Amino acid sequence: MNSLRGHARVALAVARKDALAELRGRHALVSTLFFAAVVLLLFGFALGPDAARLAAAAPGLLWLAVVFAGVLAVNRLHLLETDDGAFEQLALYPVPRQAIYAGKALGGFAVMLLLAVLVLGAVGILFAVDVPSAWPALLVTAVLGAAGVAAVGTFYAGVTIRLRAREVMLPLLMLPVLAPLLLGAVKATGAALAGDPFGELGAWLQLLVAFDVIMIVAGAATYGYLLED
Amino acid sequence: MPQTTIYGSPRSVGAPDSRPPAVATTDLARLFAGSPALAGVTLRIEGGRTVALLGPNGAGKTTLLRLLSTAIRPSYGIVRVDGLDVDRDAGELRKRVAYLSHATGLYDDLTARENLAFAAAMLGTPDARPRIQRALDDIGLGSRAEDRVVTFSAGMRKRLALGRILLGSASVVLLDEPYAALDADGMELVDRLLVAWHEVGVSVVVASHAIGRLDAYLDGRVVLERGLVAETSGEGVTHAPPGMPQQRRPAVAGVTR
Repeated sequence: MNSLRGHARVALAVARKDALAELRGRHALVSTLFFAAVVLLLFGFALGPDAARLAAAAPGLLWLAVVFAGVLAVNRLHLLETDDGAFEQLALYPVPRQAIYAGKALGGFAVMLLLAVLVLGAVGILFAVDVPSAWPALLVTAVLGAAGVAAVGTFYAGVTIRLRAREVMLPLLMLPVLAPLLLGAVKATGAALAGDPFGELGAWLQLLVAFDVIMIVAGAATYGYLLED
Repeated sequence: MPQTTIYGSPRSVGAPDSRPPAVATTDLARLFAGSPALAGVTLRIEGGRTVALLGPNGAGKTTLLRLLSTAIRPSYGIVRVDGLDVDRDAGELRKRVAYLSHATGLYDDLTARENLAFAAAMLGTPDARPRIQRALDDIGLGSRAEDRVVTFSAGMRKRLALGRILLGSASVVLLDEPYAALDADGMELVDRLLVAWHEVGVSVVVASHAIGRLDAYLDGRVVLERGLVAETSGEGVTHAPPGMPQQRRPAVAGVTR
């Protein structure tokens, strides 16, 4: 119990520190949101003015925008640790490595969830899909999707933090691993927006839960090695 | 000279003879890209001593401190700090060791107080709020506590990094060029800390070129040259040449593979 409380204390301290730094550097969050908006608009222009076509593509565009912007967000959260040797100092604290991973992932999750909700709203407006009527299922999908992107992103941001070409390497490593999440989140969003006519929503959400559990466990188990120089 | 309080109680401080050595290395080597930064260091520093690591640039001082802090692992050899192996007992060892490196490990977007609050949470500091305030006052940054670190000079950052050490309860403190970038007041702060740590029995290993200033606070000296110990002097510091058979190394008795 004490150990669990200790893990939670450390994870919350790391997440709070990341959130504070992210809010102070508001330009980073704004630029990430702007990037997501640009992705949506460009795909929207490419698909043309046909409302039915836009609505059909909306789930895919939503999650592409979230995942692309998410790469920027998790990278930014780890860039904090490149401030004057902060990552090495983080490794020297006498705390469990899993708790540091949990804290970084929790900070990433908060940013990703905010991003997903805002992009969902933008998709509702730009692509004329009925977001409010399906909001409970969409919120669950957003939470599970955000958790998966944060879990994978935190791990790979740790892998690339010491690389010079980290901005290039991070999406190259992250995006293939996120393919199952992208599939599950797009399908779940599509089913939720359509009112789940084929009763498939539950299965896609289960896929997302399984993906999140596997990635969180794998990330927590291996992140400690990334802290070693 | 104002008093500086060392309020954390060091963990393994006892009578000097009953304590494990602060540092005991055997044939310690560390390679970077195949080149040895340390090439077989066998060294023993008794607990509770203040010892300087001296030597020219590239001698291996920073590498040795980083190995002792668990920031990096040895390529070969054995390293024990405060009786604990840096490989096997790294988690426990990190509770006992504090390290001031060239890089301060501070977050630019957080204030001085927030940086110390984060450190206190990670170190599990009891009564964190008053301890943070006292540390800020001790390091002379009480009036800048709410300012973001990005606005700080190099010397102020170094003071804040020293303040972080005051929040823990280390029994071994490792300092890499603590006087660098500090003004006269900052240097006096380091002097006061060295005296205070010595008084409460904390072992201090300090790498510095400011030997003239440091000399008054030292029990012993270790001179490194090209990754090897060239010379030791003073109390509580001994070394052996690299590659000597274990039984011919009385200076490191008790340190075995």
